[in-house]
Amino acid sequence: MTNEDVQKTLAELSRDLQESNARLEEGQRVAHVGHWEWDLETDVVVWSDETYRIFGLSAQERPMDLATVRSMVHPEDRESLYRGVDENLLAGVRPDAEFRIVRPNGEVRTVHSVTSSRWSPMPGDAKRDASGRPYKLFGTVQDVTDRKRAEEALQEISRNLLESKAWLEEAQRVAHVGYWVWDLQTNRVIWSDETYRIFGLTPQEGLIDLDKVREMIHPDDREAVFRTAGEAVRSGARADCEHRLFRPNGEMRIVHSLGDLKKDSSGRPYQIFGTTQDITERKRAEEALQRSQFYLSEGQRLAHIGSWAAKDLGVRWSDDLGIYWSDEVYKIFALDPQNGPPNLEQYLAAVHPDDRASMAETVRVMHEQRIGCDVTHRIVRPDGEVRHVRCVGVPVFEDGVFKAFHGTTIDVTQHERLTQELRRERAYLAEAQGLAHIGSWATNFATRQNFHLSDETYRIHGFDPRQGPPGLERFWATLHPEDEPVVRATLENAVRAGTDYDIRDFRIRRADDGQIRFLRTIGHRNPVGEIGEYVGITMDITELKRAEEERERLRQLEADLAHINRVNMMGELAAALAHEIRQPIAASVTSANACLRWLARDPPDLERARAAASRIEQDGNRAADVINRLRSFYKKGTPPERGIVDLKDIIREMTALLRKEAVRHSIKIHSELDEDIPDVLADRVQLRQVFMNLMLNAIEAMKDIGGKLTISSRLASEGQVMVSIGDTGVGLPAENTGRIFDAFHTTKPQGTGMGLAITRSIVEAHGGRVWATANSGTGATFHFTLPAKAEEHA
Amino acid sequence: MTSEALPTVFIVDDDRGMRQAIQDLVESVGLRAESFASGEEFLRKEHNSRPSCLVLDVRLPQMSGLDFQQRLVDTGMQIPVIFITAHGDIPMSVRALKSGAVEFLTKPFRDQDLLDAIQQALQRDRSAHEQQAEVHNLQQRYGSLTAREQEVMTLVVSGMLNKQIAGEIGASEPTVKIHRGNVMRKMEAGSVADLVRMADKLKLSPRK
Repeated sequence: MTNEDVQKTLAELSRDLQESNARLEEGQRVAHVGHWEWDLETDVVVWSDETYRIFGLSAQERPMDLATVRSMVHPEDRESLYRGVDENLLAGVRPDAEFRIVRPNGEVRTVHSVTSSRWSPMPGDAKRDASGRPYKLFGTVQDVTDRKRAEEALQEISRNLLESKAWLEEAQRVAHVGYWVWDLQTNRVIWSDETYRIFGLTPQEGLIDLDKVREMIHPDDREAVFRTAGEAVRSGARADCEHRLFRPNGEMRIVHSLGDLKKDSSGRPYQIFGTTQDITERKRAEEALQRSQFYLSEGQRLAHIGSWAAKDLGVRWSDDLGIYWSDEVYKIFALDPQNGPPNLEQYLAAVHPDDRASMAETVRVMHEQRIGCDVTHRIVRPDGEVRHVRCVGVPVFEDGVFKAFHGTTIDVTQHERLTQELRRERAYLAEAQGLAHIGSWATNFATRQNFHLSDETYRIHGFDPRQGPPGLERFWATLHPEDEPVVRATLENAVRAGTDYDIRDFRIRRADDGQIRFLRTIGHRNPVGEIGEYVGITMDITELKRAEEERERLRQLEADLAHINRVNMMGELAAALAHEIRQPIAASVTSANACLRWLARDPPDLERARAAASRIEQDGNRAADVINRLRSFYKKGTPPERGIVDLKDIIREMTALLRKEAVRHSIKIHSELDEDIPDVLADRVQLRQVFMNLMLNAIEAMKDIGGKLTISSRLASEGQVMVSIGDTGVGLPAENTGRIFDAFHTTKPQGTGMGLAITRSIVEAHGGRVWATANSGTGATFHFTLPAKAEEHA
Repeated sequence: MTSEALPTVFIVDDDRGMRQAIQDLVESVGLRAESFASGEEFLRKEHNSRPSCLVLDVRLPQMSGLDFQQRLVDTGMQIPVIFITAHGDIPMSVRALKSGAVEFLTKPFRDQDLLDAIQQALQRDRSAHEQQAEVHNLQQRYGSLTAREQEVMTLVVSGMLNKQIAGEIGASEPTVKIHRGNVMRKMEAGSVADLVRMADKLKLSPRK
């Protein structure tokens, strides 16, 4: 090879090299790849032009030093980059790093740097020191910012896609909408997970074919579903149907399915894509809504409540009043819905004349001030019937802007009548309570709450009803100090035991005038109420008590008078008797004297003496007759009116009659009546007298000591009914026990001595017997017998 | 004066036994007795003026004994009354005695008490009867006087002298003497004092 050739070859080579360098540069520029050389000993770094560009610098002749390069690496990546390089070098691994740099203008770029595995700038030139460590590194740096961004964008897209798919799944699940694809060639069906769930199946559970789908559709809907599908295939229109299906567990669901036909390029349908939505809940809600709407309208009808709305009440003229009346409002006003809702003038015309002005004012105020109303007024129906109507209206605002009035109209006629009736009843009750001095109340003694206090209750305690409830404590305060402990104890015991109570007689000092009044209060526990809840009455028994005392005093007086009368009467009787008997006695005494004188004559006039003696006999008999007449007074004097008498009746009657007298002397009356004793034939009045005498005797015997009066009746032998009246009193006199039935025989200072005599005469007149025995304990028992009725007829 | 007749005891008692017994007792002592069942029955019978008395029961069916006695007094029938009663009391007996009853006896009474009362009553009736007879006699004598003589008698018992009388009647003294002598004779008066006593019994009011 010639020099020239060499020169020429050199020149060619140089040119080639230059070209090659230029191409390399161009290649680096196009690919955004620069190269670098790092002298590990001097830390001098040599960059290619592209490397400068990547770092945002203009190409420089002067090599870079490591510190400058280092400072351009992004602070967050700096540490890890150089540590990584060191570690890799130590390990003999080719450093390969991606890191960010910061250009002088602040722009951040991401670069990828690869260090040559050969550790030398030129192939085959391993620049190593004696220890074998490399002292020079060669590598490339590539600006991967754009690629990186594209990668991130791609990742973002794929992530978004995944999310979208997840959201779609979620949306299907939430909306209960599944999709399906029906391959018309194979009749195979593809379902989304939600479709599976709608059909009550686990997603991807087995293969779904059309027969299985058919099977799950409600038998009544099957035909309609497939007819719709068939029509869609034929006409290409969208299939749309609602149908029911049964899940494998038997549960029925309602679904709404839509299907769109897909055709291939030749126009032949090959697929239907569709959705299925589970509308069971919505359907049920719809049904519930329909039901509740029905109930609402029915309720309005039943409750006579109508609803209305109006944009404008018509106070000022307006084209669109926007008035709506529900059917029930028309019914309440008895107006024809065909004529539409009335305007204000027509409406007011329907209002009762007496209420019209106030109603017009109400409407005016509502209109001007945009406020609601709640008024009850009367209307007059076209046929003249007056009804009471409650009208409630509220203004409706949207975002603070008035929209309309909404309201209800309620026919409260019945209610109003009841209210008036109630008011009347209350007035009557209050009047009655006032007249009777009885107040009513309802109180919870545990919580000290008064639920109800009638006006009379206030007045009884001396409070003014107009001043509101005085509270339980002030009621307590009116109690008389001497009676308070008893009243409190009774009440507290009753409340504790949950029983009713009746405090018959206690005193209060009336709050207004300080008068002492006697009260009685009765409380009944409210069985459905809370613990301590009582309803009751309180009555002022002061007058009653005074009247009672007065009556008792009069009764006592009457009894005293009756006794005096009885004594007087006996005196009269005795006087009459004395006269009656004295007459024949005086006559006989006189005749005896005459007789003696006739005999004393000389000669004695025996004829006259005999006549006188004969008169003496007559007069003696006459005297005896008087006595006999008296003794047989009950036998012959009053002809007895005998009838069939049930002794039990008489005993009950007399017990009731004398109960008060007995109680007054702390005597208990106790009867032991044989229910089976036969009736007797007797004079009821006389028999009463017998009981009266014997029972009064018994009471008399116990009146200072109290005791027990026992009346018993039983069937004695020989068809005789025996009645015994026993007492626990002073007993029979020690002497002359046999004489107690004699007339005028008495052991009592006020006695007439006739009671037992009369008793005996009555009993004997009835064919019975009366006697007395001393009790084994204290007191005496009087017995009498009367023939039983059967005996009388036998 | 007439000779004394047999005294009679009248008995009024509604009780027949009592009535008979009293009548028998009265008759046993020798007196006449008549009995009646009632006051009306007694009044219906004619009574002569023999001395008599009435035994009257206080309690009578129609008119009480006390009222009956009052009626007797009112009609001027002066007969002594003895009350008998089966049940008398003090006010009743006081009233009876004040009205002039002789006695008030309570049945039964002692026979002697009644008989004593009857004797006392008859005595009272007898003297009353004598007085009545004397007055009757005087009245007959007085009736036999001429009007002039009666006039003179009135003046004489007034204690006037003849001369005064003459002046009074407008007659001469001798004429007055003749009238006066006729008066003394006809009136059977022994003295002026006698005449004064007679005038008193006749209840002539002397002129002053």
